[in-house]
Amino acid sequence: MGRYVIRRLLQMIPVFIGSTFLIFFMVYALGDPVAAMFGDRAPDPATAARIRQELLLDQPLWKQYLHYMGQIFRGDFGTAFNGQPVTELMGTAFPVTLRLTLVAIVIEIVVGITLGVLSGLRRGRALDTSVLVFTLVVVSVPTFVSGYVLQFLLGVKWEWVKPTVSTDAYLNELLLPGVVLALVSLAYVTRLTRTTLAENARADYVRTAVAKGLPRRRVVTRHLLRNSLIPVVTFIGTDIGQLMGGAIVTERIFNIHGVGFQLYQGILRQNSPTVVGFVTVLVLVFLFANLVVDLLYAVLDPRIRYA
Amino acid sequence: MATATTPDPAPDAGAASPALLDVRDLYVEFRTRDGVARAVNGVSYRVDAGETLAVLGESGSGKSVTAQALMGILDSPPGFVTGGEIRFRGQDLLQAAPEERRRIRGARMAMIFQDALSALNPVLSVGTQLGEMYEVHQGMKRKDARAKAVELMERVRIPAARSRVGDYPHQFSGGMRQRIMIAMALALEPDLIIADEPTTALDVTVQAQVMDLLADLQREYDMGLILITHDLGVVADVADRIAVMYAGRIVEHAPVHDLYRAPAHPYTRGLLDSIPRLDQKGQELYAIKGLPPSLTAIPPGCPFHPRCPRARDRCAVDRPPQYDVAPGRTSACHFWEETLRDEEPPHDR
Amino acid sequence: MPDAYVPKEAVTHGDGGTTALAMAEAESLESGRNGRNGRSGRGAARPNGRPRSLWGDAWRDLRRNPVFLISALIILFLIVIAIWPSLITDGNPYRADLAKAQEGSAPGHPFGFDTQGRDVYARTVYGARASITVGVCATAGAALLGSLLGGLAGFFGGWWDALLSRLADIFFGIPVLLGGLVFLSVVTSKTVWPVVGFIVLLGWPQIARIARGSVVTAKQNDYVQAARALGASNGRMLLRHIAPNAVAPVIVVATIALGTYISLEATLSYLGAGLKPPNVSWGIDISTASTYIRNAPHMLLYPAGALSITVLAFIMLGDAVRDALDPKLR
Repeated sequence: MGRYVIRRLLQMIPVFIGSTFLIFFMVYALGDPVAAMFGDRAPDPATAARIRQELLLDQPLWKQYLHYMGQIFRGDFGTAFNGQPVTELMGTAFPVTLRLTLVAIVIEIVVGITLGVLSGLRRGRALDTSVLVFTLVVVSVPTFVSGYVLQFLLGVKWEWVKPTVSTDAYLNELLLPGVVLALVSLAYVTRLTRTTLAENARADYVRTAVAKGLPRRRVVTRHLLRNSLIPVVTFIGTDIGQLMGGAIVTERIFNIHGVGFQLYQGILRQNSPTVVGFVTVLVLVFLFANLVVDLLYAVLDPRIRYA
Repeated sequence: MATATTPDPAPDAGAASPALLDVRDLYVEFRTRDGVARAVNGVSYRVDAGETLAVLGESGSGKSVTAQALMGILDSPPGFVTGGEIRFRGQDLLQAAPEERRRIRGARMAMIFQDALSALNPVLSVGTQLGEMYEVHQGMKRKDARAKAVELMERVRIPAARSRVGDYPHQFSGGMRQRIMIAMALALEPDLIIADEPTTALDVTVQAQVMDLLADLQREYDMGLILITHDLGVVADVADRIAVMYAGRIVEHAPVHDLYRAPAHPYTRGLLDSIPRLDQKGQELYAIKGLPPSLTAIPPGCPFHPRCPRARDRCAVDRPPQYDVAPGRTSACHFWEETLRDEEPPHDR
Repeated sequence: MPDAYVPKEAVTHGDGGTTALAMAEAESLESGRNGRNGRSGRGAARPNGRPRSLWGDAWRDLRRNPVFLISALIILFLIVIAIWPSLITDGNPYRADLAKAQEGSAPGHPFGFDTQGRDVYARTVYGARASITVGVCATAGAALLGSLLGGLAGFFGGWWDALLSRLADIFFGIPVLLGGLVFLSVVTSKTVWPVVGFIVLLGWPQIARIARGSVVTAKQNDYVQAARALGASNGRMLLRHIAPNAVAPVIVVATIALGTYISLEATLSYLGAGLKPPNVSWGIDISTASTYIRNAPHMLLYPAGALSITVLAFIMLGDAVRDALDPKLR
């Protein structure tokens, strides 16, 4: 197990470097950070050149990248467009998005697995069919559409919830945004649960469990569910990273000042330190979530653990 | 029909008791999208305590489906028992309440599956899976069940049982895994064990060990054993009687030595002739021509007639009944007498 | 199936000259189909039957599947109006009549007008073109690139494989929407191609993983091993034996991906990073309409409905194709 962890950690390093370099490349090489600083005004060429030198923008890209990464590991993410350190922005933005993601994940687990188990155990029945139709529709409606429609119906028309979220972003305010953020993943969780359950229901070891004379309840919980939920758990794990990155749409709809909001501002104003900094942290979160998933997988499935 | 020739009654059921297992005229069908597959069509056999019945047939002959129907683990839908009786120690299991059947399953009659690697749960330790039998059927505490699991593993001669009880199925060799399957079946000392191709997935050298172990344990506990196989070689040493199945029915049912000496059905003849023999080295092996019929479209008359070297016009229209060949021996062939005497070369190729 | 590289022993002269391999294939497919062949004993039986091929079987299933028929019909319709939008509308998606801004439906303008007084119906119809173009081109690109790289990695293994896996991981590590925003915000082109390019860039690893997996599985098939033992060249092995087996899963994943790519394009356009005016795109229209949802929900609902139906159709099609090609999942 220890060696497995170390191997996975080592594998993460090139992926981290690759992903962050790619983003760095896009922002610094494809865009023009200096021009962006001046907005619409054309910068004085001498000033521009001085800034370029200060920011090492005249150096080869890999040197800039190394320099930037060096600063990041010293905790210096640079300055945002409003003069605030990027780390300060992160300090306010990440907790908000984390709360939102947490709400979404809980909804995804509770609703998704429940629906998946119900329909997987009753394949072909009316409930199964309606769940399938529901998931298809949910997957097909893009988040920004379902977000606006739900916001309009629940928040504006029927006034069940507040249509926008305050800057504090309390958990109860995040319920509807959480649902919106979770919807598509929830449908995937439902379908995945249903499929693995149906596949495993035919597995030989389930037949063995029945032949052992175990009560149906025990067959389902101890043998069928335990095995079927392994891929579901791993999906949900990897989804944490995806949701945090994908929260940008939900945050825009409900005016939540989280990671997506700050990033969006950063991109609009072409503030490179904000963009690269936030994305770097998100990549780290994503990689870390994947690592945890792999370890979880090994804990849940002994065939991996002892491989 | 199989006639009761075995003299000894079931030991724990008192004198003049019914057979341990008496299957009468069992029918099973699968209702699929492509039509109704008639997997079992009027199978009857009986097994007594301490006796081994081998059920022989190709895949698709209905031998495994029969066993699943006996255990009550048929997947339903699509599988349905549509007729017959399964009398286990006098009680018709098909009439029993589901809860009653569940209690019998695993405890009084147990099953050994072909591929232990897939038949054992990959994510639970073998100790857990063995102990589960005691926890569920006897309400034993987990710790005590674990101790019993070790005992079981020792009984099926797994070395270092105590240290391996926490291991997972994939950590064992094929033969050891099959021993664990056997141990699981044996846990509650059932009256009847159904072994569905227990050695097919194993190496030849291991096959014999596992088969010997099974035979030993059967003697030790005086259990009835139904041995399902497609391998004539396995049968000869251990079985008392053989039932040969084809297209969902028993075509020949005989004491093992009688059947080997002189088969009374052309299908059995064909099976025996297709075993490679040392004294025929160099000759081409015999193979029954054609393929078994689709169970959705079993031919009228004798289902074997399209492949049968002895087939006459009558065979295509007239479904043969079970002819009594001798006491305790039947054949479902109109021409069993000439088959038995092996008149006229049965196969010209 | 009768192929020079099939080892002799495998060819029996059974009924109608069927090869043992074809039978085995038909049978294994059959067993998958009935789910429990091994147990039900629905046997070896396919008397005098021609062996069914995977594709023939799949097609037979698809023709009977209402989900497939409905989604295929919708997609066909969408493709037609993407090419000839004037077939079902004579409206002009660009003509603005500010006097009619945000008005509801009127004769000749069933979906009403948008905030610049443009005909929502015409815009919804014309919007299909961008979505379908992006979806189809991005899928084709990602499928080609992905199956090529994935297939080679699976076939050759070794450092090729390791390199490709890490490369795929890198692209997986980038959050799709954020990557899109960053990448596309620096692009000035107003065509669909940067969007297509970006989706291909982030989409190929998914296809590559699938292709790699099925190639690795196919490589272990006995007949492929046999062909190798008989000295078949790498190229021949890939083309004749392995590629046909790997195509099915790629097609399934690609079809479903097509739906999600259309959704992704719309989302990027909504965020202002995808297509830009004067392109007519559902995503842009929905984005504009979102501000006015209280007063003029129709502006949002019609393009949103069209978008959702399009995505739904492709996902349903992918589902149906998967069910047909992979009977195990039934």
